Amino acid sequence: MLIELNPKQLKLRDELQEYFEGLFTPELKAELNLPEYFEGGGPEFKKAMRTMGSDGWIGLSWKKELGGKELSPIEQYIFVETIMRTGFPFPFLTTESVGPMIAEHGSEWAKEEIATKILKGEIIFGIGYSEPNSGTDLASLQTKAIKDNDGFLINGQKMWTSLANFSDYIWLATRTDFEVKNHKGISMFIVPTNDPGFSMSAINTLGDVRTNATFYDNIHVPDSHLVGKLNQGWSLITSQLNLERLALVNHGPVEELYKDVLKTAQATKINNDQYLSDLSWVKHNFAQIHSGIEALKLICWKQTWIMESGQLNMAEASVAKVYGSEFFIEAYRLMMEIIGELSILKNNSEFRILNARLERMYRTASILTFGGGTNEVQRDIIAMAGLLMPRTR
Amino acid sequence: MDFSEQPHQTEIRDSLNKILSEHCSQECLKKYDSGFKHDEDLFSLLSGNGYLGLGINEKYGGSGEDLYDLGILFERLGYHAAPLSLSGCLVDVAQTIQKFNSDSSCNKILGSIIAGEIYTSAILEPSNQDPENPATSALIEGNELIISGTKYLSELASIAKNILVSVNSDEGVLLVLVKSDQVKLTELSSTANSPLFKVDLESVRVDRKSIIHEKGKGLEALRYLLQINMVMRSYFALGVNEKMTSLIASYTSEREQFGRVIGTFQAVSHRAANCFIDLECHRLVNQQASIKLNTSLDCENDALVSKIWAANTSHRTSYSAQHLHGGMGVDKDYVLWRYCLLAKECELINGSASQNIDRLGINITTNQ
Repeated sequence: MLIELNPKQLKLRDELQEYFEGLFTPELKAELNLPEYFEGGGPEFKKAMRTMGSDGWIGLSWKKELGGKELSPIEQYIFVETIMRTGFPFPFLTTESVGPMIAEHGSEWAKEEIATKILKGEIIFGIGYSEPNSGTDLASLQTKAIKDNDGFLINGQKMWTSLANFSDYIWLATRTDFEVKNHKGISMFIVPTNDPGFSMSAINTLGDVRTNATFYDNIHVPDSHLVGKLNQGWSLITSQLNLERLALVNHGPVEELYKDVLKTAQATKINNDQYLSDLSWVKHNFAQIHSGIEALKLICWKQTWIMESGQLNMAEASVAKVYGSEFFIEAYRLMMEIIGELSILKNNSEFRILNARLERMYRTASILTFGGGTNEVQRDIIAMAGLLMPRTR
Repeated sequence: MDFSEQPHQTEIRDSLNKILSEHCSQECLKKYDSGFKHDEDLFSLLSGNGYLGLGINEKYGGSGEDLYDLGILFERLGYHAAPLSLSGCLVDVAQTIQKFNSDSSCNKILGSIIAGEIYTSAILEPSNQDPENPATSALIEGNELIISGTKYLSELASIAKNILVSVNSDEGVLLVLVKSDQVKLTELSSTANSPLFKVDLESVRVDRKSIIHEKGKGLEALRYLLQINMVMRSYFALGVNEKMTSLIASYTSEREQFGRVIGTFQAVSHRAANCFIDLECHRLVNQQASIKLNTSLDCENDALVSKIWAANTSHRTSYSAQHLHGGMGVDKDYVLWRYCLLAKECELINGSASQNIDRLGINITTNQ
């Protein structure tokens, strides 16, 4: 048993840290502070993506023969950890989930036109999975793709299509067979957002992150836009889920904020001879956050090791998702308690602390307990796969 | 990164499971629900098969210094609720001597521990929250120490010939072996009926040679002892928690109400899943701490994190298990109740979660 990063992995982390510091120009930082560009999409963001593409930092999980780096799961985790610590909204779903699937299962056109551009950092995808009546039960989705002579005709509506407002394509899950069991009739398409049949309306969220309802009205795509075989899209949706969930609960950002809050508390005088960090309840909060982060880090590391050794362990993947997402909520609360009422002041306000990161983080953290596979379903999986209990109903 | 056990470790786990399941049936355990809880036959069996040498270097006759091996022993003892309290002997005495004593007595003591002689420790003191600063004192007179004070929660002291005690002196903290016939022992009756004693030392005279460490290393040795004790007791708790969680799973998968197995109710399965999550967290921080202790003599924060998770998980799993078992959980003819009592002992010895959160918080905010 060995529970630490090896010298090669530590070197990768240092290398990445240095690289991201160079990438993070003041202009980019300023842009990412604007609410409309929180999730990326601005000119500086696009520039940074292209730089990363030409420097070879996109395509970490892709096989080498597809032009990727073929990093191991732990190396990918380190990448995610390091970039998330900076706060850069790296479009993982496009580059590490959709990208390799297109590169492997796409048509000749998709491989040449789409996969290559993803690797260069020139293309962003929005993910079209959820629908108004298909959330947790995703396999019940109803957006239709009907075969015609030279392609497919697509009609339907998607919800929570994040990034659609600046993405070039939608990675769209559609129903192509209505006669079979739900998950056996699903196919995946690349749908261009500049098609006249495509439209969207903004959904503004509590976290000030914009997402979208997207509409597909008689959009015609050629056969080359189908990815994978007809009616076999479900396996494409689920194949990368563990890696995606792991990226959602990476311990990097929360640890970064914890360190900053600690420094702040140690530097904040509350009277002539005491600092904020001298108060016993403040110490308790820090200790609770620290114990929680240690567990999260180890759960994630173990998960990467499980993936690396080619095992499949559904219970452990769900433990990571449930524990991580619920811990974030608790950790942000404990940190906000330490900073106190000052932590509700926003970024454009006097007296704000740590660029109001806490104020923003707590508002965005709540989506993770239901997003990426709701925690109720994850707990069902833990009981079944981890404890061998009967299926709940 | 490698979370797998080595083949020899899996072997230790499997063969311990075999021995312990034979000796820790309901019927066997019943014998120790009152009276002196120490299974001599089982102890001899473990000694005869070399299990008391786990975590001890080969040069002393042990099976290697990897603390994870020793952790497996404690984890299995907990899992089977074995009537053996061995942390004083195998952890406090053996490990501290191995790390801090380089003279020939080390060889002798470790050899006799492996062969089955019981040593123990007496470190904790009533109403002293800071075991690093013992109230028990030693007066140094020439080549002699005169020790006075009161210790408690000392395991198996009535059958140990030697007791390792922590004392304060003009030379700072010392760890000293005293003979058990030099002290006054009083048996304490406790929640899990563990063999715990109060140890009164009234002007006990011992030779300087009974100090187990080099001059000036006493505090370092005591800190190490406290940390490794926390980590190994956490392994014991891990076994207890693993057993309670598996009892939850098996019981709720069979018990029927309203015409269906109660494990199919989400309210039930989710509470079980929470125990599984706690258990996984507890296991991982426990493993991290023991691995770090393999190469460092001081990893207090990791030991504290391990203890905090062990304490919280023990408490939460115990009450979830009792609740989900309904009346069965408190029925002394069923297996669960002993584990719930052990869980409370695990939770509180070496300080509660809150106390250790306090300690960890001080370390963090003072950058230690």
